[in-house]
Amino acid sequence: MAELHIIGQIIGASGFPQNSLFCRWGVHTGGAWRLLSGLKEGQTQVDIPQIGEMAYWSHPIDLHYGTKGLQGWPKIHLQVWHHDSFGRCQLYGYGYCHVPSSPGHHRISCETWRPLGSWQEQLAQTFVGGGPQLRNPDLIYSGADRYRLHTEAMGTVELELGVIMKNFDKYGVEN
Amino acid sequence: MATSSPSVFLLAVNGQIEGANFPEYDNLYCKYCYVYGHDWAPTTGLEEGITQITCKSSHSHRLIWNFPLETTFKSTNPYGWPQLVVSVYGPDVFGNDVVRGYGATHIPFTPGLQTRTIPMFVPEPTWRLQKFTSWLLGRRPEYTDPKVVAQGEGREVTRVRSQGFVTVSFNIMTKDMKKIGYDTGPPVPSNTQSATPDR
Repeated sequence: MAELHIIGQIIGASGFPQNSLFCRWGVHTGGAWRLLSGLKEGQTQVDIPQIGEMAYWSHPIDLHYGTKGLQGWPKIHLQVWHHDSFGRCQLYGYGYCHVPSSPGHHRISCETWRPLGSWQEQLAQTFVGGGPQLRNPDLIYSGADRYRLHTEAMGTVELELGVIMKNFDKYGVEN
Repeated sequence: MATSSPSVFLLAVNGQIEGANFPEYDNLYCKYCYVYGHDWAPTTGLEEGITQITCKSSHSHRLIWNFPLETTFKSTNPYGWPQLVVSVYGPDVFGNDVVRGYGATHIPFTPGLQTRTIPMFVPEPTWRLQKFTSWLLGRRPEYTDPKVVAQGEGREVTRVRSQGFVTVSFNIMTKDMKKIGYDTGPPVPSNTQSATPDR
């Protein structure tokens, strides 16, 4: 069995309308993958940055997967939310990225998007917040049925992911 | 006698806590410690320490510690890879020692010189009255054990404020990782900057 270690952190996010942000993240894999150790989903703390406009989470990720096939390579999916001073949470963006497939350190910028409602919903959103959310969060990392969505671009999430591979060369995988 | 393939690999960390960038605070010192998984154990070197107290000079707004880090770890499994947890403390207006930031970063795993800029954050009280009384009494919210900063669980309900950066540089060597079968990627080209540059 080949093994994959993902060791890194979700650094933070920038480019969103407001700063007080947190992130819900998860890792999705195909059927041939088995999580041996680590937490494959979580939620970061809410950061209110004092200097600059980038919110920093430094949320550690340490995952150990075993696999028998290359299909279903791990993907990290993210939901960035805004937490205001009243304690309300508002969705600010969805995004996903594949875990890099070569060993070593990688710095990844994941762009995010938000579903756009009708013009009435957009008008209400500028005044009271809120807005449409995906009913099925699988759509964040799958391409099926995306053609029905109308979305707008939001900010960027920075991740630093380190990948360690074991036994992939024994199965003939080149990288 | 034939040598059997090893089951334990070593990670040698040679680095330094270079300094910090905190625009609003001065006269700071830094405590560090390592957090690692169950399969890991330090073999030589110090697991924790405290730096000197440093202050900004008239011509530079940077705080410099230049504090050495020399530790070696052994393990059988990369899971639980060691993290360096850093906490910065300084005096407030009334002279009490309060925390100015917590931060953590994974030790790199590719040989070579790498610099990490660690964002530092403090837990934030939610109520304005609590903010005022904590400022008045010099008792800011603190973590009872700074090592929680290295964990991902239980962060969902905490509000924090990021207010500075600490720069750490690492020179890493690993032994026997390739022999056991782990591929950690190409060595880093000289002087790689990681995370955000100082502001």
